Amino acid sequence: MNGPKIYLQINGMNVITQTTVASFAVMILLCTAGYFLGRNLKKRPGRMQVITEKGVSMLYSLVEETMGRHNAYWTPYIGALFLSSLGGSLIGMTGIFRSTTSDISTTLTWALMTSFLVWGCTIKNSGLKTFLKGYINPMNIISDIAQPVSMGFRHFGNIMGGSVLTSLLYSALAAGSAAILGLIKTYGLLEIAAVALIGGGIVFLGFRRKKLWVKIAGGAVIALAAASALEFFGVFSSVPILQVGLPGVLSLYFDVFSGGVQALVFSLLTMVYVGMACPPPRDPKEH
Amino acid sequence: MTGFEQIIGINPWTALFTFCNMIITFLLLKKFLFKPVKKMIDQRQKEIDDLYADAENSKAKAQEIQAEYESRLDSARAERDELMADAVKRAQKREQEIIAQAKDQAASMMTRAEADIAQEKKKALNQVKNEISSISVSIAQEVVGREISAADHERLVTEFIGKLGETQ
Repeated sequence: MNGPKIYLQINGMNVITQTTVASFAVMILLCTAGYFLGRNLKKRPGRMQVITEKGVSMLYSLVEETMGRHNAYWTPYIGALFLSSLGGSLIGMTGIFRSTTSDISTTLTWALMTSFLVWGCTIKNSGLKTFLKGYINPMNIISDIAQPVSMGFRHFGNIMGGSVLTSLLYSALAAGSAAILGLIKTYGLLEIAAVALIGGGIVFLGFRRKKLWVKIAGGAVIALAAASALEFFGVFSSVPILQVGLPGVLSLYFDVFSGGVQALVFSLLTMVYVGMACPPPRDPKEH
Repeated sequence: MTGFEQIIGINPWTALFTFCNMIITFLLLKKFLFKPVKKMIDQRQKEIDDLYADAENSKAKAQEIQAEYESRLDSARAERDELMADAVKRAQKREQEIIAQAKDQAASMMTRAEADIAQEKKKALNQVKNEISSISVSIAQEVVGREISAADHERLVTEFIGKLGETQ
C-alpha cells in the first residue's frame, strides 16, 4: 500500500499529489452540483428541488439541534465540510482518483480548521483574557492539541484502513484463485468437465428445490469450470475469479458506509466543538 | 510522476490546497446552494404561515359577524313580538272603547227616544183632552141646548179628565 502519487515536485517539495488532484475534483464536482441544484428555484418545486430542499433543511435541522438555533448560520460551513468529506471518501471508488480523506494532510487540515474556528469563537465570545486564562491549567493545552489530532487521525484511519483492508483482500483473493486454478491445471479436461457437470447438477437441484442460493452456488461451480477450461486452453492465465462479488460487498461497508459515518462524525464533532465555543446569547429579558 | 509519498506523512502543500479548496467549496456552496435554498424554504414557510393566519383571521371575523347577525336577528324578533303584542293590546282597548261608546250612544238614544215618546204621548193626550173637551162641550151644548158658562165648562172638563185619568 502506497501513499498518494506525486505528480509535481519543485525543489524537492511534493507540490501536487494525487490527493490534491482528487481534492480539486471533489471541489469542482460539489460546486457544479451545488450551482445546478441551487439554480432556478421555484415556489412550486420540481422533483430535484424537493430533494435539494429536503437535504438542505435536514442539514439545517441537524445543525440547529446540535448547536442551537442561534448557530444556524454555521450550516453552510458544516454542510461544505460534510459534503467534502463524503465526496472525498467516495471519489476513491471511481478508481480514477484516490480518496482525499485517506491522506492525513487533508483530514488534519480540516481538524485544524475546526480547532481554529473554536479558538476564534472562544476569543470572540468570551474575550482573549478568558481564552488565555483557560490555559492556566496545562491539561487544556494537551486537550487542545489532542482534539485536532484525534479528529484528523480518526477520519484518516477509518478510510485508509478500509482501503488497506480492501487491497489486502484483493491480493488474498487473487492468490486464492491462482491456487485453485493452478490445482485445476494439473488435472485434465475430463476433470474440468466433471466439475462443470457437478455445477450443472447443483443448479438443477436448485431449480427442483426452488432455492436461490443453491442456484447461485451451482452457477459459481460452473463459472469455476469455465474459467478452468479457459485456463486449460491457455486463453487466460490465472484469472482472479474469486475477486468477483465479495470485494463489492466489503467495499459497500468500507467505502460507502464508513465514508458516510466518518463524514457525519467529523461534522458532528465540529458542530459540537464550535457549538460549545458559541453559547446562546444571553436573553436580555432574564436580567 | 516521481514516485509515492509515505502513507502517514504530512505534506504542507496538500494541506494548503485542501484548506483553499475547503474555503472555496464553502463559499460557493453557501452562495449558490445554501442561501438560495434556505431563502426559498423560509419564503414558502412564511407564505404558508401568512395564509394560515389569514384563514384564521377570516374565520374569526366570519364567526364574529355571524354572532352579531344572530344577536341582531334575535333582537329584531323580540322587537317584532313586542310590537305585535302592543298592537294587539291597543286594538283590544280600542275595540272595547268603541263598544263602550256604541253602548253609550245607544243608551242615550234610547233615553231620548223615550223622552220623545213621552212628550209625544203627552202632546197627544193634551190634544185628545182638548178635542174631547171641545167635543164634549159641543155634545153638551147639543144635549143641554144651552151654553155652559166658562166656569162650568172648565169644571166639567177637569172632572171629565179626572175620570179619564181614573179609567186610564
